[in-house]
Amino acid sequence: MKGKLEIKNLKKTFSRTDMTGTLCAIEDLSLNIEAGEFVSVIGASGCGKSTLLRTIAGLETPTAGEILCNGKEVRGTSPDRGLMFQEHTLFPWLTVRKNILFALKSSKRFGTNGNIVDSLIGTAGLKDFADSYPHQLSGGMRQRASLIRSLAVSPDVLLLDEPLGALDSFTRMVLQDEIIRLWKERGNTMVLITHDVDEAIYLSNRIVVMSPRPGRIAEIVNVPMSYPRNRGASDFANLRSRLLKRLNFASDTEQDYYL
Amino acid sequence: MIKNRVICLLPFVVSVLVIVQYLLMPNFREFTPLDQNAPTYVWVWVMGAFAATFAVWNIAAVFSRRVNNRLRKKAPLLAVIFLLVLIYDYATLKSGILPQPFVPWPDAILNAIIRDREILLFSLGHSLRLLFTGYGIGVALGIFTGVAAGWSLKVRYWIQPLTRIFGSIPPVTWLPIILILASSLFSGAVFLIALAVWYPVTSTTMNGVLSVPKSTFEAAGTFGVSKVGMIFKVAIPASSPFIFQGLAQGMSIACTALLIAEMMGVEAGLGWYINWQRGWAEFAAMYGAVVIICITFFAVNAVLDLTKRRVLRWKQEV
Repeated sequence: MKGKLEIKNLKKTFSRTDMTGTLCAIEDLSLNIEAGEFVSVIGASGCGKSTLLRTIAGLETPTAGEILCNGKEVRGTSPDRGLMFQEHTLFPWLTVRKNILFALKSSKRFGTNGNIVDSLIGTAGLKDFADSYPHQLSGGMRQRASLIRSLAVSPDVLLLDEPLGALDSFTRMVLQDEIIRLWKERGNTMVLITHDVDEAIYLSNRIVVMSPRPGRIAEIVNVPMSYPRNRGASDFANLRSRLLKRLNFASDTEQDYYL
Repeated sequence: MIKNRVICLLPFVVSVLVIVQYLLMPNFREFTPLDQNAPTYVWVWVMGAFAATFAVWNIAAVFSRRVNNRLRKKAPLLAVIFLLVLIYDYATLKSGILPQPFVPWPDAILNAIIRDREILLFSLGHSLRLLFTGYGIGVALGIFTGVAAGWSLKVRYWIQPLTRIFGSIPPVTWLPIILILASSLFSGAVFLIALAVWYPVTSTTMNGVLSVPKSTFEAAGTFGVSKVGMIFKVAIPASSPFIFQGLAQGMSIACTALLIAEMMGVEAGLGWYINWQRGWAEFAAMYGAVVIICITFFAVNAVLDLTKRRVLRWKQEV
């Protein structure tokens, strides 16, 4: 089984242009993610979760520490580690089908995966839009097309950087089910960055809670519920309030702020 | 609607009026049969062809709604254009209000083109060869430097001052120097046109590459696109709307540079022909070359625009 990620003592600092010194985005972070696992990372803005994901993708190089994917050190981007952004990154000059073919040909996986293009487009409900250009699609359809384009190359790990953040809540719920179905079908590792606690609980096996400045892991929470999950169940609600408390958005004492 | 029908018929009516005026109204002076500007039936045939086209168009419009809508849209413009032709014919051949012989009438211009067709065709060929050689070199170099400057900060540091300088100085300023230094007049003119095209293509391409979102390249990176692929399969297509802007700007500057080069130094082509005929006071022939230049440049730009519409199909609005 491929798709195992090992993050060892990762540190990432950025030099700042507005002041001397550096900004520490991630400080001494270690995390193992098993092959086929679905892990979500939540935390307030600026806790380094996006930096973590970009470093796993190979778009940033670690300042210290290392990341291993399938036991090999991550150096630069690779089709083994797909990345999906909040804004769709479909190439606007290509149709949906050609976007997917572009990904397949660039990653030299056309030979093995060329035959699944149409079925992927079909399962994403984009059959009638295969030859449409991205600007002709709705926001939800664009993200769906982005998702199947990322999956078409069969990455061992798919990194999702708030992929549903810009969508309305109904479309978001539909796409969450879609993501689970595709993940179950293909068995790859998923790492999701999200602001949405419900989304994290609904989708993942494990939730990593990060705390900001410098970014480090505050807590790792297992989600022992079976799929498909019920958003209204009591253990769902319990977990939600526990996570919100951890993120300081809810308190069990009445005392909050004094003005 | 009766009003729409009348508007649709206007181009036909006006073009018939042009023929009627030409045939029935007395000319401003008598012509001997030996006079090479003596009125002929060429103009009648040409206007007759237009009138017939409009008549057929009107008949087709009765049967097809689409044809009808198109005709209704174009009819007022066409009617005014032919009204201007009617007035022009009156002001020259029929009344001599416009100073003669400096402003020839359409029939004389058409006959001059027919008389000189061989040399005109050769001149047209020479002009087009010069235009496209210079344009092609300018575009190729412009896209190359534009992509390089958009891609690399170091290249941009050196290219940007160059585009600023050449952007603020009309390229024909260099013409005298180029014509002295160039090994032949043709290659000098090619150099001038290429230089004129290079600047706008470089700066629009550079801006295009700079405007591509970083995430587009990052996404391509996750699919394992190579460095070369990033340029040819991502950067250039992503910035193609900008590149086409430069291609259009470059074409209009190239046309200007071509004519000036031909009028000032190159001893061939339509620009040269105009000067040559002016020297002989052959005004009809001179106007004929102007007409051919207008049609040629219009056609070249129309082809460019059509290509742009096709290539940029993926854009929301072009």
